[in-house]
Amino acid sequence: MNFPTEATLRRIIAFVAALGVGVATYITIADSGGGAPACLAGGGGCETVANSEYSHIAGVNVAVFGILGYVLLLLSAFFANDAARFGGFAVALGGFGFSIYLTYLEIFTIEAICQWCVASAVLMTILFLLNATRLIGYAGTTTVAAPDEG
Amino acid sequence: MSNKREREKRREERLQQEEKVDTGERRTRLLQFGAGAVFLVIVAVVVLIVANSGGDSGGDATNLEGVSEADSMIAGIPQNGMVLGDPKAKVELAEYGDLQCPVCKQFSEEILPPVIERQIKNGEAKFAFHNYTIIGPQSPPAGAALLAAGEQNRGWNYLEIFYRNQGKENSGYADDEFLTAVAKAAGVKDIARWNEERKSKRLTEQVEATTTRAQSTYGFTGTPSFTIKGPSTNGVELLGTLETTEEFESAIDAAG
Repeated sequence: MNFPTEATLRRIIAFVAALGVGVATYITIADSGGGAPACLAGGGGCETVANSEYSHIAGVNVAVFGILGYVLLLLSAFFANDAARFGGFAVALGGFGFSIYLTYLEIFTIEAICQWCVASAVLMTILFLLNATRLIGYAGTTTVAAPDEG
Repeated sequence: MSNKREREKRREERLQQEEKVDTGERRTRLLQFGAGAVFLVIVAVVVLIVANSGGDSGGDATNLEGVSEADSMIAGIPQNGMVLGDPKAKVELAEYGDLQCPVCKQFSEEILPPVIERQIKNGEAKFAFHNYTIIGPQSPPAGAALLAAGEQNRGWNYLEIFYRNQGKENSGYADDEFLTAVAKAAGVKDIARWNEERKSKRLTEQVEATTTRAQSTYGFTGTPSFTIKGPSTNGVELLGTLETTEEFESAIDAAG
């Protein structure tokens, strides 16, 4: 299997990060005013998770941190330099670690699963793998190609 | 001339070689930083998980706190089932909450006391609590235990003491021992009757019914959520989750 070009990786990262911005924004909007995201299959898991003490850090919905992370990842896809490669990897790594912790809380502490949170965790995992591949494959190289230049 | 060209060529080759070394070093350094970051994140996640799984989960049945504080907050205010305040009050504020819900606890301790102290105590409004049990499997039995205390007009004492001793949600603290300790501290006189009634079909169905009403009829998606009814409202009006004491006071004033 051929190693993907950096331009391909950056395109996929931009696409997945944009999806992440959408998911995190929905959770934030649905949670504002004491509400909760709607679970597609019902069951109230999203309400339980959104009402738990773990849904906010210092009064800020954790999804807001998600939006911030996804936006940074989206931005990192638009630059082909080492700062963007390492920055994207660091943000995705932090997001991936935080997603592991939140998923642990959902399963073992809150004992409820919110599909939107799972969706975000999956997207962050994909972004971590993509950014790790990008860093390992292209750290230290010099290219001038933008994401839409192939 | 050819010597000069030769020198230029050698210089270019040397520069290229240096750049290659630089690039290689930068790559090695970046990958080392990356590996370090991975290690740090693994440590952070492990620490977070360990810190979360241990520690005090609250809800200590053998050492209930804030009992006198809770009692003095509602002392002298009539209780009828889960309705606090003058039964003839024209305005009825209603809360749909879950005893295990940390935000409900926060409301009970920080936002609602001034409302109870003024508008409920002076008969301007009465305040009903309804179960909206969404946190976990121990929420409905706790809700029924609350209603059973309300049957002996000690429901609000039960509610306030429970919140002041609330443990970590779904940590398993709200067991029979804890529920019984709260009932005794709340001044439920006939514990045998309370025990029987909290497991009765009538009260467990009532918990389910108010939960369904909050969820399906009113469309509330979180706890606590509030409704209000009064001479100036169009039947029951949904307030949702108000944020401040002032908003509750204004809502009661507007409904009266």
